[in-house]
Amino acid sequence: MAIIERPTEIPDTANRGVRPAPKASTNYGYLRRPVETTGWRSWAFTVDHKKIGIMYGAVAMFFFILGGLEAALIRLQLAGPDGTILSADKYNQMFTMHATTMVFLFVMPMAAAFANYFIPLQIGARDVAFPRLNALSLWVFVFGGVFLNTSWFLGGGADGGWFMYAPNSSVPFSPTNGVDFWGLGLQITGIASLVGAINLIVTVLNMRAPGMSMMKMPIFTWMAFVVQMLLLFAIPVITVALFLLMFQRSFGAQFFSVEAGADPLLWQHLFWIFGHPEVYILVLPSFGIISEVLPVFSKKPLFGYPFVVFSGAAIGFVGWGVWAHHMFASGLGPVSVAVFSVATMAIAVPTGVKIINWTLTLWGGKLTFTTAMLFAVGLIVQFTIGGLSGVTHAVAPSDTQQTDTYYIVAHFHYVIFGGAVLGLFSGFYYWWPKVFGKLLSESLGKWNFWLMIAGMNLTFGPMHIIGLQGQPRRMYRWTEFRAGEGFFNLGFWNLVATIGTFVLGVGILLFLVNIWITHRPNSKTPPAPADPWDARSLEWITSSPPKEYNFARTPQVSQLDEFFHRKYEDVGEGDKHEYVQKMTGEEVIQFEEDNADPNIHLPAPSYWPMVLAFALPVMAYGVIYNTLLIVAGAAIATMAMFGWALEPADAEASDFDPPVEGDEMSKELANV
Amino acid sequence: MQAVETTTTLKSVTSSRLVRTLVAGSFAALLAGCATDAPQDTWQPKGSNARMINDLDWVVFSIAGVVGVVVFSVLALALWKYRDRGQPIPEQTHGKPALEIGLTILPALILVGIAIPTVGTIMDLAETNDTECIVNVTGQQWWWEIDYPVQDGCGGIEEPIVTSGQMVIEAGTKVLVRGTSRDVIHSWWIPSLNGKRDMVPGRIHTVRLEADEPGIFAGQCTEFCGLSHANMRMEVIAMNSTDFAIWKANQVQDYVAPVAGSLAAEGESTFISQCSRCHQVDGLTDSNDELIISRPDQNVWSGAAPNLTNFMTRNTFAGASWDLLSKECRPGVWDASPSTIGAAYLDGVTDSCLNEVELREWLRNAPAKKPMYADPESLEATDGLVRGMPYLALSEDQIDQLVAYLLERK
Repeated sequence: MAIIERPTEIPDTANRGVRPAPKASTNYGYLRRPVETTGWRSWAFTVDHKKIGIMYGAVAMFFFILGGLEAALIRLQLAGPDGTILSADKYNQMFTMHATTMVFLFVMPMAAAFANYFIPLQIGARDVAFPRLNALSLWVFVFGGVFLNTSWFLGGGADGGWFMYAPNSSVPFSPTNGVDFWGLGLQITGIASLVGAINLIVTVLNMRAPGMSMMKMPIFTWMAFVVQMLLLFAIPVITVALFLLMFQRSFGAQFFSVEAGADPLLWQHLFWIFGHPEVYILVLPSFGIISEVLPVFSKKPLFGYPFVVFSGAAIGFVGWGVWAHHMFASGLGPVSVAVFSVATMAIAVPTGVKIINWTLTLWGGKLTFTTAMLFAVGLIVQFTIGGLSGVTHAVAPSDTQQTDTYYIVAHFHYVIFGGAVLGLFSGFYYWWPKVFGKLLSESLGKWNFWLMIAGMNLTFGPMHIIGLQGQPRRMYRWTEFRAGEGFFNLGFWNLVATIGTFVLGVGILLFLVNIWITHRPNSKTPPAPADPWDARSLEWITSSPPKEYNFARTPQVSQLDEFFHRKYEDVGEGDKHEYVQKMTGEEVIQFEEDNADPNIHLPAPSYWPMVLAFALPVMAYGVIYNTLLIVAGAAIATMAMFGWALEPADAEASDFDPPVEGDEMSKELANV
Repeated sequence: MQAVETTTTLKSVTSSRLVRTLVAGSFAALLAGCATDAPQDTWQPKGSNARMINDLDWVVFSIAGVVGVVVFSVLALALWKYRDRGQPIPEQTHGKPALEIGLTILPALILVGIAIPTVGTIMDLAETNDTECIVNVTGQQWWWEIDYPVQDGCGGIEEPIVTSGQMVIEAGTKVLVRGTSRDVIHSWWIPSLNGKRDMVPGRIHTVRLEADEPGIFAGQCTEFCGLSHANMRMEVIAMNSTDFAIWKANQVQDYVAPVAGSLAAEGESTFISQCSRCHQVDGLTDSNDELIISRPDQNVWSGAAPNLTNFMTRNTFAGASWDLLSKECRPGVWDASPSTIGAAYLDGVTDSCLNEVELREWLRNAPAKKPMYADPESLEATDGLVRGMPYLALSEDQIDQLVAYLLERK
C-alpha cells in the first residue's frame, strides 16, 4: 500500500538502546520533506494517523465549546418571556450556527478523531491506507471550520436554521453573507469527510492484520466502517444541494426561485436524503464505542456480535429510505407519508436490537462502574428515551403536532447528546490512557458524568413538556399570554431548561479540568498501566501511547476479542467455564516486542496536504468577495496537487542532517 | 378506497374503548393538570381532526411508555444483579441466536401494532370529500392573509372576504384550508384543531379544520420563516351559525367614511397619504372619487400588506402577535363561554377597549416592535423592497388621527 519507508526510531529489539531518529535537514529545498520528529512541524506536517486523530479531537473539542456557548446564549434568551439578551437576528444566527457547529464541526470530526486513531490500531495496521490524504482530511476540516466561523466577523453567521430551507436561504430573504459562508464552509468540510471516508474504507478492507476476517473485526471499527460508507454516499448529496445553493446565491441561478418555476421542496428532499443518514453518521461511532466499553467492563463478549454488526449495517441501508419523515408536514400527500411513516418504524427494529444486545451484554456479566462504563450505560438510557420519542415521531399524524416544536428539539438532543455525545465521552475516558499514557481522574470523572446526566435531563427533559404545550422551536421570544398557568406552564419549564444548561456546562467544564489536572506540569498522575481496564481488543496489544509504528510486530489474529483470549484460558470442562489468566497484558505486549518485525515501513510527512487544504477557503472567500481570489486559490491548489504528485515516494537522504542512507537504515534493521 | 376502509376498520379496533380505558387511568392526572395549560397545548383537541391525532397519541405514548418501563427495569436489574461482587469471569459466549431472533421479532410486532392505526389515521386525515367550507390562507413574512372565495359552502359566500390573522369559521363545519405562500415556506398550525401543514410558495396544500364548539383557538407559524418567525401567529375563531352569518355580512358592508371634520376624517387623509400604498381599505376613495387600490408590489417583497377594511373586527394585529384589546377587556372575549363568545367577538374592538399603547407603539415605529427588513436603504439585495412595515416617521398628531380612523374600521 502507500506505506513508504523512512527512518524512524528503531525498536529496542536487541536490547541495545533505542537508536535516535536522524534530525531534519535545515536546508530548505523546495521538495524537502518536513521530517522533524519534534516541535510544531512534527504535528503540522505529520501523516501519522495518531497525531492526526489527536488534532482532529482537539479542534473538535474547541468547536464543542464554541457550540456550547452558542447554546448557552440561546437558553439565556429563552429563560424568561420576551428575552432581550439577543436580537431576533442574532438569535436566528445563534441557533443556526449552534446546530451547524455541533453536527459538522464537533460530532462528525470527533468521530473522525476516534476512527482515525483507533481503526488502524484495532485492525493491526501501521497507518491508514493513504496517509497524506488523511492529513488532507484534517486540514480541510480545520480550515473549513475556521472559514465557516469567520462569518461572525464578516457580517454575521448564517440565519436560516441548520437545514436552511429554500427559498428562505436565497439572497432576498437572507441578504448578509452568512448563508454563503455556511454553504461554502460545509462544502469544504464535506471534502474532508469524503476523503476521510474513502481512506478509511480502503484501510478497513485492505489492511486488516492476518487472520482478522470481517467478522472478527472489533465492533467499533465495524460501526466506524458503516459510517464511512454512509458518508461516501451522503456527502455527495449535500454537496450537490450546497452547490446549487452557491449558484443560487452567488451566480444568479434559479434552482430555488419559485417565481422562476422552482419547487422549494427540492431542497428539502436533497437535504434530508443527506440529513437522515447523517443522523446515523452521528450516532453509530458512539454505538461502536460503547459496544467496546460495555464488554470490557462486563468481562463478557458483546452479546450477539453478528446481530449488532448486521443491525448496524441494516441501519446503514434502511437509513436511506426514511428521509421524508422530516417532511411529514410538508404536504407530501397521504401515500408518501404513510410509506415513510412505516419505513421509519422499520428502522426502529435494528435500533431496538442494539439496545437489547447491550442490555444482554450486561446481563450475567461482572460489572465494574468506571467512568467510561457509566457514560456507556448513560447512553443506553438516554438514547432509549430519544428512541421512544422517535417512535412517536414516526407516527406521522402525531408528528404533525410535534414537529418544529420543542418536543422534537428534546427528541433529537436525547438522540444526539444522549446517543452520540455520551458515547464520545465514554470513549474519552476509556481510551485516554491509550492515547496519552495517563488515566484521567476517576473521581472527577464521576462528577463529570453525573453533572452531565443531570444537566442534560434538566435541559432537554422539560423540552418535551414545552413542545407538547405548543412552543415552536426557533422563536427568539415566547410570550407570557400563551404560556399557560398550570403545572406545565412554559415559563417554569423554560427556566428549568436554562438552569439545566448551566449544570451541563459545569459537567463539561469538569472534563476539561480533569484533563488539566492529569496533564498539567508537575501533575502527580502516574503513567497509566499498559492494560488498565483488562481490555479485549487489538489496540491494547501495544504500548500506551503507541509508538509511531503502532505495533512492534504485526499481530496475528485468531479470535474476536483477541487480546482477551491471549490473556485468559478456559480451563473448564464441558459446559463449565473457568477462566484463568495465563498472561498479563504487559506480558502479551512484551512478547510482541520481543518478536518485533525486522523491517518497519512508515510513511513520510509532507507539506502538501496543508497547502492544498489552504487553497479551499481562499477559493471560497473568492466566491463571496472577489473572483480573482478564486483564481489565486485554484493556482495554490494546482501547485499543491503537482507538488503532491511529484513528491518522491520516500523521504530522501538529503532531507536529513546529516544525510541518511535509506539502504543503511534497512540493512541495520534487517540485522537486528 | 377499499384499502382505505380496511385500514380504517383496523384502526378503530386498535384504538377501541378498551385501549383508551386502559391508558385513561395513567393519564388522568396528567389531563387534570392540563386544564389551565398553554393555549397551544397539543393534547387538548377541540375538533374532530385533532381528536383523531390525539386518539393515536394515546396509543403510541402508552406503548412507548410501557416499552420504556420494561427496558429500564431489565437494565436496572442487570446493573444491580451483576455488579462485580467477586464472581468469576462469566462464560465468553456471543449469545443465543434463538433469543436474538425472538427479541428482534418482538419490537417488530409492536411496531406493526402501531403502524396499522397510523396508516388508517393518515388516510382519514387526508379525506376532503366531506368539505363544507373552503377558506384560503396565504402566508407572508410575517402574517397570514385569509380569504373566503365565493362559494355555496360556508353557508354561502357571495362576495369574497379578505381578512388577516384571524380565521372565523362556523363551529361544527368541516373547513378545508387551502394554503400557499407569497415568499418563503410557512406552516399553518392550530394545535387544538389539527396538526401543522407547510404552506409552500408555488404550491397549494390543504389541511382540514373543524371545531366542536365556538371558541378562540390559538396557533402559530411553525416553519422557520426568517427574522420575525416568532411574531407570526394566528387564531381560528369558531362561532355558531347565527353569529357567523352576522360576521360574514359585516365583512362585506359598504365603506362608511368618517364624519366630515372629525379626527377620524383627518385620519382618513393621513391614511391615504401614509398607508394606502400598501394597505387596502375597500371602498376608500381619493379626492377625485376614484377607488384607491393598494399597490404594495412596488414596495414590499411579498406583494401585499394586511387588508384593513374591517381591522377592528379582529382583536389582534401585526401577525396576531399583539392584542388590539386592552388587558382589561381581553378576558371578556378570550375567556367567554362557547355560548357567548361569538357575540363578544362580534362586538369588535371598541373605543374603551382598545389596546392603545401597543397600537401607538406600532404606528410610531413598527420595526422596533417587530423585527423586519424594513429599511429600504440597507436592502440592496432586494432592490429596496421591504419586508414588513417600515418606520414611517409619523407625528403624534398623525398617530392620533390614524387611531381614530382605524377605530371606525369595523
